[in-house]
Amino acid sequence: MASLRSTRPRLLTAAALVLGASLALSACSSSSSGGGETSGAAKVSKQASTSQYQGTVLSKHFDKPDLVLNDTGGRPYDLKARTAGRTVLLFFGYTSCPDVCPTTMGDIGVAMSKLTPEERQKLDIVFVSTDPERDTPQVLRTWLDSMGKDFIGLTGDLAKVKAAAKPLGIMVEDPVVAANGSVTSTHGAQVLAFLPTDDKAHLLYMAGTSVETYRHDLELLAKGVAV
Amino acid sequence: MSRGFRRSALIGAGLATALAAGTVVVACQSSGSSSAAPKLSVADPYIPLPATPGGMGAGYLTVRNDGGSDRLLKVSSPGAGSVTMHRSTEKSMEEVGELEVPAHGTLDLARGGNHLMIMDWSKQPALGDELELDLEFAKAGTVVVKVPVKPLTYRPGS
Repeated sequence: MASLRSTRPRLLTAAALVLGASLALSACSSSSSGGGETSGAAKVSKQASTSQYQGTVLSKHFDKPDLVLNDTGGRPYDLKARTAGRTVLLFFGYTSCPDVCPTTMGDIGVAMSKLTPEERQKLDIVFVSTDPERDTPQVLRTWLDSMGKDFIGLTGDLAKVKAAAKPLGIMVEDPVVAANGSVTSTHGAQVLAFLPTDDKAHLLYMAGTSVETYRHDLELLAKGVAV
Repeated sequence: MSRGFRRSALIGAGLATALAAGTVVVACQSSGSSSAAPKLSVADPYIPLPATPGGMGAGYLTVRNDGGSDRLLKVSSPGAGSVTMHRSTEKSMEEVGELEVPAHGTLDLARGGNHLMIMDWSKQPALGDELELDLEFAKAGTVVVKVPVKPLTYRPGS
């Protein structure tokens, strides 16, 4: 209990993350057998407090989506095949997004820049566009280059993107273009980390995760530390 | 006559400059009679360099209020065709009509929450540039802020 008190701020953060996670995950739980949200959340919470990782530890390990889109060179990219046995951070977003998308990808970029080249090589950062009509491979490349030259950008059929995101608890809707030309795309803003051991998602990062948390966890992921 | 006129014109210009400079930081009511009058100042304004050169940008700042409540109604800029107020939510982003500036409190425009969306730049923003934003408040009137363009991942205090 004494140790509990000393780590209170972190636990509070973890609790907030868990709350966020259970909200995010509830969207996709309709297909599950209905074991109860409460017990699921409690399980997450227990694991989060014992893990070395600062991200939310998932009790349900999502499969990496079976998704083939175009990469930023315009060539077909099979996510599952190309990233098999590798550590992957996956984020869905769009380039006309001024706030959350560049903040999230930028923070991951800064965290990556603090790792050694060897560590960086072990991690694939994948950004999937939820606005493929405007996010052409070139548009995506230019945008991603501001945050990470080696970030992988995927764009293509929105129906495929939606289908890939849904089982991950990430809801993607059709983008809406306003009269002034601004685009709003509805997409879950969480980042999922897939492990090389089973190609499944084990960690979740909500929007607003700090550079320090990403740096901390990316270093552990690159070293292959178990979740 | 003409000399007198010129002098008063100069004083006028000086006053206008001083007033304009004053509004950069403080937009207090000159009367200060009513305790309900807002006393606004803007802190830590910045625009992260857009990830796509010349593309969609965001604007962040804090409005401090040492007086009565006020509302931010509209933001415009001589250097950008469109500035709108938005709020990021869990899964999306929504445009907001106005933002409350609580009495003796702050209105935070910060990453992941309320923010300005800036489009149609008249000049592609670069690091070190400053963009003028005109913040229109219900009671305090217009507050003019010069907002620096910072690196994409900048945060105040970093």
